[in-house]
Amino acid sequence: MSVLETPRLFFRGRITWDPIVTNNRPQQYDENEGKTVFDSDDGVVAFRKDAIAAVTGPGNWNPHGTHRSTFYETFTVGVDTGGGLSTSDAIVKSPVSFTGMLVDLEPYGAFSSQLFFDDMSFGIQGGCRVFAPRVTRMTGRYINFARNTTYKYVAGVASVVWQTSFPKTSGLRIDPHDSSLLQKFAEQLEHDDVLGLTVRWNTYRTLYFDSLNPANNTALAQQLHDKLVGGGFQPNPARSELVGVLGLWRKGEPATEPGDRALLTRQPGHMASAHVRVSKHQLTLDLANSVPETGVDLAKLNLGDLNAVAVAPDGATVVARLGSLKYADYCREKYEASAGIVTIEVDWGEAEKAKTADIQIRQKDDTVLLAEAALRAVPTAPNIYLDEGETTTLSVLVLDRGKPTGSGVQVAMANPDTSSGASTTSLTNAEGIATFSLSGTKGQVESFVFAAGQGAAVPQGINPQTTTYVYVRTLPADADIAGLEPSWTTVYGKVLRNWHAMAPCMDNWLDLGNPDQVKSFAAMLHELTAKANFEAFRFMPVTRDMTTGERALLYAFLDGTGALEPVVEAPPQVSLQRLSRAMRGGAR
Amino acid sequence: MIYLEFKAIETVDDAIELLQMAIALEFSTLPPYLYALYSIRPGTNAEAASRIKSVAMQEMIHMCLACNIVNALGTNPVLTAPTYPGPLPGGIGTDLTVHLLPLSKDAMAQAMAIEEPEDGAIHFPHEESLLAAAAQEFMTIGQFYHHLDGFLATLPASRWSRGRNQLDDRQFLAGKVFAVNGFTDAHRAIDGIVSEGEGTRDSPLDFGGDVAHYYRFAEVFYDQVLTKADNSKGYAWKDKLGVDWNGVYPAIADPGSHDFSKDPPTARAAQDRCDAAFTRLVQELQRAVAGEGGRLGNAVRAMFDLRMAAKQALTVSLAVPTQVAGPSFRYRPSLVGAVQ
Repeated sequence: MSVLETPRLFFRGRITWDPIVTNNRPQQYDENEGKTVFDSDDGVVAFRKDAIAAVTGPGNWNPHGTHRSTFYETFTVGVDTGGGLSTSDAIVKSPVSFTGMLVDLEPYGAFSSQLFFDDMSFGIQGGCRVFAPRVTRMTGRYINFARNTTYKYVAGVASVVWQTSFPKTSGLRIDPHDSSLLQKFAEQLEHDDVLGLTVRWNTYRTLYFDSLNPANNTALAQQLHDKLVGGGFQPNPARSELVGVLGLWRKGEPATEPGDRALLTRQPGHMASAHVRVSKHQLTLDLANSVPETGVDLAKLNLGDLNAVAVAPDGATVVARLGSLKYADYCREKYEASAGIVTIEVDWGEAEKAKTADIQIRQKDDTVLLAEAALRAVPTAPNIYLDEGETTTLSVLVLDRGKPTGSGVQVAMANPDTSSGASTTSLTNAEGIATFSLSGTKGQVESFVFAAGQGAAVPQGINPQTTTYVYVRTLPADADIAGLEPSWTTVYGKVLRNWHAMAPCMDNWLDLGNPDQVKSFAAMLHELTAKANFEAFRFMPVTRDMTTGERALLYAFLDGTGALEPVVEAPPQVSLQRLSRAMRGGAR
Repeated sequence: MIYLEFKAIETVDDAIELLQMAIALEFSTLPPYLYALYSIRPGTNAEAASRIKSVAMQEMIHMCLACNIVNALGTNPVLTAPTYPGPLPGGIGTDLTVHLLPLSKDAMAQAMAIEEPEDGAIHFPHEESLLAAAAQEFMTIGQFYHHLDGFLATLPASRWSRGRNQLDDRQFLAGKVFAVNGFTDAHRAIDGIVSEGEGTRDSPLDFGGDVAHYYRFAEVFYDQVLTKADNSKGYAWKDKLGVDWNGVYPAIADPGSHDFSKDPPTARAAQDRCDAAFTRLVQELQRAVAGEGGRLGNAVRAMFDLRMAAKQALTVSLAVPTQVAGPSFRYRPSLVGAVQ
């Protein structure tokens, strides 16, 4: 199933991360209200000044972020059409293009990252190419905070699994020419069971200030601060390595996170959770997110020989020996060549036993690194936005050893942040899907965790390595704002000022504080802020937090003929609150 | 045909002189490409815009890399704003005068002339013939760069300055701009410049696997996609690219030669805003390559301002109400600070 079956395409490269972080802290942003927090009598100028001042502390490493995340130096590096890794296919060495907007659904948190994008391509137009228009945004899951512990700076320690899928019915185009791999993709897409293609990639070794040594970052932050004080546009993108794979997306597989058999970590410092597929004669293990690097040189931790076994329900007794991996199978060179996917041959009889037994990955001394969780309840929409008063139905796909269960499996859903911890339950239908109703009752960010199976314990919180979860952000209605007189003063003060302060990236082309410009580009602003374009790369605001009331007021202004009186802001004043926060060094 | 003046390079100063010419040459390609790009109406010509924009970005990168080489040789590069219409810097033996033209076949033919490969364009068959190729013969700057490369290879390591005023990709253009600290870096930069502009000898693709500049413009010119094909040359002009020659603002050519005194004040003000932003861009870039690396961010800001000013200028009618003007790319220091 999925990218763990063949045919598949491997790619490797780098990506930049350029988010703003001025909405990461409650002192600067109210994530429930979706509003920038201004001190009582200062405004955008003071907010920006404060954001820049925070660069030299631990508070804000990128006040001029654009949110853009762009692949660079990223190319296809190999294919597997069933006979193992090959680098001679015509698609190999083709550029892979992707640009998305990195937005955390929960601005304060680290578990709900997503990339809004329009399309992705492997190869170029006119050549061997897969062109994949977006249907579902890219989602980050299985965050591994033990991946690179030698780089302790913001998210430098972490790696992330990113995934989305491209339905064959929504503009997915394959131009095979002389590529055997693409010819096989095209053939497979003819089958009813194949829905399209899934792309999964892993980002790791994230560097800040483009520095291999985080000890240098204090000095580099000072340099950035000085540049910001000197004016201009001064983004400070972080950057990561990435490896990825493109493969088939079959019916019954979740679009936005792995749905193969889940091997959950037992030793997070040594090996993070992974996914596995066992066929008649092969075991294919996705270790893209799992084995830590020992330093910024990207050498992999040597865990010695690893044994794949299947065990009895007691979790200890081995019932099948599936094979072994040597360090050479998961070392850096192998990892980069095949995106961390390792395939070993398996005896047919042993594979049969593993069909109904939990798989484990063990070290030579039988230390269990990974152990299978047979039942997984995976939300089909991992990050959900609602407007206040809106209701939606969440579908949760229950997988039993990587395949949808039948009907009647109980799924429990709970919000771990509520004091009661009470859960609601639902039963799966014949396709293995349980549904839950979600209502946006007020402006807030909520998370829900899942447990599948009768009496299964619902997790007490989110551990992204082991928990399946969904985030829901409800934007307040802001009916009071909708009812305001649509003058420039109100539309700026109640709507545009939020992003003018928080995200200067949004005025790269448009000065949100300039009524003439805003009015001149009314038609474009309408289009960019329309709810219908919410998933688009260029949607505004990038942070996806414009409320219905704010949108109504903005449109009333754009469509009206109100006078464009200039905005007079109070001069910046020293804020004791902000000064105090700066002295504390702020919080990330 | 465009020939660049090939001088014997006997000293580092000779090389720097040629590199200065290279910087001027790369710079001079930007306004005509940007003029065509800006002239495209929103919501139209996405594929054409993408190709022109990608080339313009790479020309900016080439200019930065050439500046890095000059700096690595111990000299501050000097940026000189080009004028239009006018010849390409260093061009001899050609009657090519470069104009600022809105997106059109003429604009693309001009761009193809500027970018034509060293050994001439590879002539691919038109599998679905839409039009006959314009039989144009233009020369290249490829030999010029190889000439430079040959000399730079002879310099001892001690002749190179490490870390002198170098622009890098820390903030912009990730993976594209890199410091030049010696010949290896300079050679890599020159290879990239030639490859991206011209492709390789037998292929329209550059070393990065993308279509070289000449062919990107040719795709727009022919309104066809250069496509892999089972023929002796490996490629053919095939599917429609989707160019809408009418999806373009009615912009006049060469606004720098236009007398705006008879146009409405709004048109004059729009031109002033464009010129002010362009002038600021040049000034900030000059500071950035002369040791104030942080000013690159100010140059980018000015570039955003120029784009915005251009968008506005292209919607303001001239005295002839069916005409508008894009940015004239005039360097006018007196405007900086005087125009909002």
